[in-house]
Amino acid sequence: MTKFIVRRVLQAIPVIWLITVVSFLLMQQAPGGPQGAFNQNPHITPEQVNAWLARWCLERNPDVVGTIREYFGWLGVWNCQGGGGFFSAQGLPNFLPAFLGGGTNGVIHGDFGFSIFSGQPVVDMILQRLPATMILMLTAWLLWVTIATLTGVLAAVKRYSIWDQIITIFSYVFFSLPTFWLGLILIFIFGVELRWLPAQGIVNVRAAPAPFGTDAYWKAFGAHPLPNIIDIGSHLVLPVLTLIAVSVAGDSRFVRSAMLETLSQDYVRTAKAKGLPGRSVVFRHAFRNALLPILTNIALEIAFLFSGAVATETVFSWPGMGQLFFQGVNQRDYFLLMGILLISSVFVVMMNIVADVLYVFVDPRIRYD
Amino acid sequence: MTLPELERSVGGASTPAPAPAEDVEVSLESLGQWQLAWRRFKLHKLAMIGLGIFAFMIVLAIIGPFIDPFNPLFIPNAKHPGGDGPSLQHIFGTDNVGRDVLAMVINGARISISIGMFSMLIAGVVGVVIGAVAGYAGGIVDNILMRIVDVFFAIPFLFVILVAARFFGQGELIPLILIFGLLSWPLIARLVLALFLSLREADFVEAARAVGVSDARITFRHILPSALGPVIVAMTLTMAGNIVLEAFVSYLNFGLSADQTSWGNALSNAQTVLSQGNWWWAFFPGMAIALTVLAINFVGDGLRDALDPRSRL
Repeated sequence: MTKFIVRRVLQAIPVIWLITVVSFLLMQQAPGGPQGAFNQNPHITPEQVNAWLARWCLERNPDVVGTIREYFGWLGVWNCQGGGGFFSAQGLPNFLPAFLGGGTNGVIHGDFGFSIFSGQPVVDMILQRLPATMILMLTAWLLWVTIATLTGVLAAVKRYSIWDQIITIFSYVFFSLPTFWLGLILIFIFGVELRWLPAQGIVNVRAAPAPFGTDAYWKAFGAHPLPNIIDIGSHLVLPVLTLIAVSVAGDSRFVRSAMLETLSQDYVRTAKAKGLPGRSVVFRHAFRNALLPILTNIALEIAFLFSGAVATETVFSWPGMGQLFFQGVNQRDYFLLMGILLISSVFVVMMNIVADVLYVFVDPRIRYD
Repeated sequence: MTLPELERSVGGASTPAPAPAEDVEVSLESLGQWQLAWRRFKLHKLAMIGLGIFAFMIVLAIIGPFIDPFNPLFIPNAKHPGGDGPSLQHIFGTDNVGRDVLAMVINGARISISIGMFSMLIAGVVGVVIGAVAGYAGGIVDNILMRIVDVFFAIPFLFVILVAARFFGQGELIPLILIFGLLSWPLIARLVLALFLSLREADFVEAARAVGVSDARITFRHILPSALGPVIVAMTLTMAGNIVLEAFVSYLNFGLSADQTSWGNALSNAQTVLSQGNWWWAFFPGMAIALTVLAINFVGDGLRDALDPRSRL
């Protein structure tokens, strides 16, 4: 088992390395280069731009070797301060952690750079936005998996019944809806016409003690948790509905076909012939064996959830990472974009490994050694 | 005679078909694989409805702008601000400056469907070639190509699309088609590789190898045609996905420039007037997307059943 986990992590390393290359090239190839973001700002002198470029190991018009040097500098392998090259100020390899005498610059030392616009460290900006995204994604994910599994199992067990047909029609229709458009329609119906639910933001800005995500907010949240939870909860309904409608529709079909596959197996017929109660046959015999493909699917779609969050967060002004990314693209905030790209992709890679490891607990037939 | 035998006997075009017998099943031998698939497809009611809707959308995209009296960019009268609900003159209403929403939907069909179609073709060609090369070469080439595919699966797709469309799209149609096409092939490549790995062990490949057919010919003449069915289904999914994605990217103003009308562009400022009760501006272009995507998904489902060699007429 340990051997398997180690092998999966080792396999993930080239993937993560390629992700860093892709996100670096996206920034490097952008029109005008990263310093292009300063073009419109009259208060910034060329000297300041040069100092900024030097701080991040960037060059004005790098050739191929310069680009590779830039990449290593951003990564933290190359030390451009004082011509250190591959070595830190202590004379040790720059990629080592700082407490072992390595450098402090670059991604591998946790230095994702500063936002060109707000001047804040990228890591801080992402951490500040993380709670809102996590609230949205975790709620959506739990509901999504539960509803998709229940409807899928129901449709498979009662195949060709009226339930199966209703679920099938709903999943076809919802699967075809653009996420952001569904959000607009829900805003119109429940936020504008019926006025049942708030349509924008994560908290009621007039009633909230401080803007969401600030220290003052969390302090007030700690003092009176219940009204604040209700406030967030009411803002959560529409974005979550939007986010899960499309995914539930697709996954419900998937669970249905996985269940139909196992329900037609010999061991299910044997279980029925033994006179086991229907519930036991469905859940202990058929569903347990259908879990494997379902789990794979859930793990793979975590990346999909990130994408869905961008659509939902921009439509509902939800102050999460997706909206931050949208603002970053709008403002050409390169370090911010690369930071979000890299962190979310590494998260997806890790979740895939976790899913692989989980299989063993679900399916004892699989042995990895 | 089982269907695989039947198909193998009709697969070799150079061998003359055996003399037809009176038996109904045997008379099918005169039908090609694609004719059989079309027969099965016709039995799928929803797929035929989907095909009808999709054909209607294509006709609308081609001739619609010539019949429709309104220019989607025409702002009729500065004194009359627009934002009228559906009426006899503007059956889908007008937006906040008085542009006709129906004209936006009709003209949008042109751009949105061509982005979906052409990006699908690019993704299909690139995906099939890369998947086939990985499957044929195996070893280190396979490993490198599939690690690249892994990267595409790890990075949230929308993030990359947004950045690419903003930085390299320039608001033009051709760059956007290229971006969508060149970023959506990994799914198809992975599918082709998976099919190759299973088909490589199939009996008919072994038979071909036994009679001395070259590896390249086995790859492209024997394995690839058998893998085509699932690939076509995946391509329809890619097309539907790209139509929705383009709409979202243009809705955020990162896609086409404002002087071109796609369904996403038509939606781009609709949210600002929703709170005034102006639902038609957001509703109709979105319905056009949903209807088209639904139709494509139905067609894809029909194709899945029709092209599956295991399913019988």
